[in-house]
Amino acid sequence: MSNTDLSNIEVNQKPVAKRSNPFANVFNELVSFCRSRSMFMLHYCTGCGAIELPPAMTSRFDMERLGIQPMVTPRQADILLITGYVSIKTLKRVILTYEQMGAPKYVIGICSCTVNGGMYWQSYATAKKLDEYIPVDLYIAGCMPRPEAVIEGLQQLMAKIKTDEANSWKKYYEHYDYYLGNQQHLFGNNWQTPTDIIGEAKTYQLEGPNTLGEHTKILESVQRPLEPLEMKL
Amino acid sequence: MSAAHSQNLNVLLQEIEGIHLTHHNPRRLRADIAAEALPALLALLRGRASYVHLSAISCVDWIEENQFELVYHLWSYETSVLISAHIRIPREPGIYLSVFDIYTPAAFFERDIHEMFGVYFEGSPDMSKFILTEWNGPPPMRKDFNSEKWVMETFSWQEYHPDWLKDLEEQGGGIVSTPESIRMDNK
Ligand code: SF4
Repeated sequence: MSNTDLSNIEVNQKPVAKRSNPFANVFNELVSFCRSRSMFMLHYCTGCGAIELPPAMTSRFDMERLGIQPMVTPRQADILLITGYVSIKTLKRVILTYEQMGAPKYVIGICSCTVNGGMYWQSYATAKKLDEYIPVDLYIAGCMPRPEAVIEGLQQLMAKIKTDEANSWKKYYEHYDYYLGNQQHLFGNNWQTPTDIIGEAKTYQLEGPNTLGEHTKILESVQRPLEPLEMKL
Repeated sequence: MSAAHSQNLNVLLQEIEGIHLTHHNPRRLRADIAAEALPALLALLRGRASYVHLSAISCVDWIEENQFELVYHLWSYETSVLISAHIRIPREPGIYLSVFDIYTPAAFFERDIHEMFGVYFEGSPDMSKFILTEWNGPPPMRKDFNSEKWVMETFSWQEYHPDWLKDLEEQGGGIVSTPESIRMDNK
């Protein structure tokens, strides 16, 4: 496991030059506001916590009044909800899903199990800290959290998006080496995903000093080009 | 009706050499037999009695006795009786015969036991990885696999000390045994 602890590292924000024109940031603020008000949520129902989502989504607590709707595909979703324990096998799929989502993307870890493994802390099969493998914007602890807590958490996320603080997705690009290292630690050095994160980091201009490192070197040495799946009838 | 059935069944079962029957109650029967006699018992129960359902095979690791215990749970829809057939096999090398030819669902249970305990079933159709496809360590349900130690070596933990807990601690309350103290015992 890599030694650096990322929980306290802030994302390097490019210093924004203070501008005297009061309308200069209006457009950005409008974008952030709209973003926080129309969120599509991919709920990856990994554990028992998913059972609190139907009441949160349907008429009793009604997420849609906040502008949050379920979405069926990762490519069209903004929020990835991880609703409970992630086994190592599931974690692979979670990472694949996360990488396919278009930025900006937000991750919420619901349930104590995503914080520290919860009641499965001594299980060989479940991953413990979710934010070692993908960056997490917000945790909602509880076993399991009630729909009120889920809604409260989503509202906090909205507030963070509105003020441009929910930047964990940038962290994934800027510290890709760290996340990749932890993933390799669990899945072995042959681990690779179909998404070219390093290329994306360059495109988004988010490549930092920690994007590349020893772990990405391993990735480069084992990376095979993607092959089309065999078609069978 | 079911009493009469079990009478006949008892006569039938005496054909198996060295069988030891225990009646827990009218609908539960425990049969302890030698490992060599198990296929004959299963063939008899399936072919001449009505035990068509193998509902599970379970495995117990008796590490002190250096043995694995395999339990075959058989159910009859006609008499509503559950028979569990217990056998013991040596822990090393941990090889036993597959009963796939008598009960096809056995393939599924045997593959699972192979993965969790490392018992190899000769003649089972597929002994490849099943659920733990990402797992390369020793079979995790064996008693000599220390799950906690493995976890301590593989994962790290994050601080979890919420504000409401601090309030409680100020009043003299709080968590009595912290997760850290429990985990440290096994470090
Ligand atoms: S925190 Fe509790 S409810 Fe949530 S996934 Fe873990 S065990 Fe299930």
